[in-house]
Amino acid sequence: MTDVRSEVLGIVSMVIEKEIKDIPLDAHLIQEVGADSMMALEILAALEKKYRVIIPEEKLKEMTTVNKIINMIESARKRK
Amino acid sequence: MSTSKLPLGIEDIKKIIPQRFPFLMIDRVIEASPDKVVAIKNVSVNEHFFAGHFPDLKVMPGVLMIETMAQAGIVLYKQKFQNDNLLYLVSVKSRFFNPVFPGDQLRIEVTPMKMMSKIGIFKADISVGDKKIVEAEIAFGTQDAKFS
Repeated sequence: MTDVRSEVLGIVSMVIEKEIKDIPLDAHLIQEVGADSMMALEILAALEKKYRVIIPEEKLKEMTTVNKIINMIESARKRK
Repeated sequence: MSTSKLPLGIEDIKKIIPQRFPFLMIDRVIEASPDKVVAIKNVSVNEHFFAGHFPDLKVMPGVLMIETMAQAGIVLYKQKFQNDNLLYLVSVKSRFFNPVFPGDQLRIEVTPMKMMSKIGIFKADISVGDKKIVEAEIAFGTQDAKFS
């Protein structure tokens, strides 16, 4: 497991209060895992703080699965 | 808004936030930028809520401290977004450390965790002198904010 993957899963797990094993990487966080839009915002804020990146507002809608979040973080870090 | 001359007095604050007596909970804004807002609330014995909370021991209700921080949060939001959006409270994580009594001057400090046009989350705290009163993380959204 890559560092980013385990770190993102850790943040998602903490915010939505579910164990990592219950968060499939391609499951829709809101429709399938039980997150809500506020949790998505909390995840986004935590990711920005941890990785010192700015994630634009329109990207929030794309943060639907852990894998998509990981890709987003990796491309945001490349842009830095 | 960010160009207003500091400190902002009550008439300036009324141009920014929609709450009015008896629910306007900040008296002055001494620092205002998109990165941080610091506001002041002087708690008088004549506050309407002290009549019932409590008749024999006047303590400021914790929920009104949340409202106080939320109103400072509106000022913070308006530093970044100059619109007329009505903001609704969505979630509050808070921890109270000390009570507030008549005569206390509250210093309310709010900083953004993520501030977006229809949804946002910020850190807030209130102190009286060097005494910490409450810390919170407050999230808000407009009525039409949807991200699912």
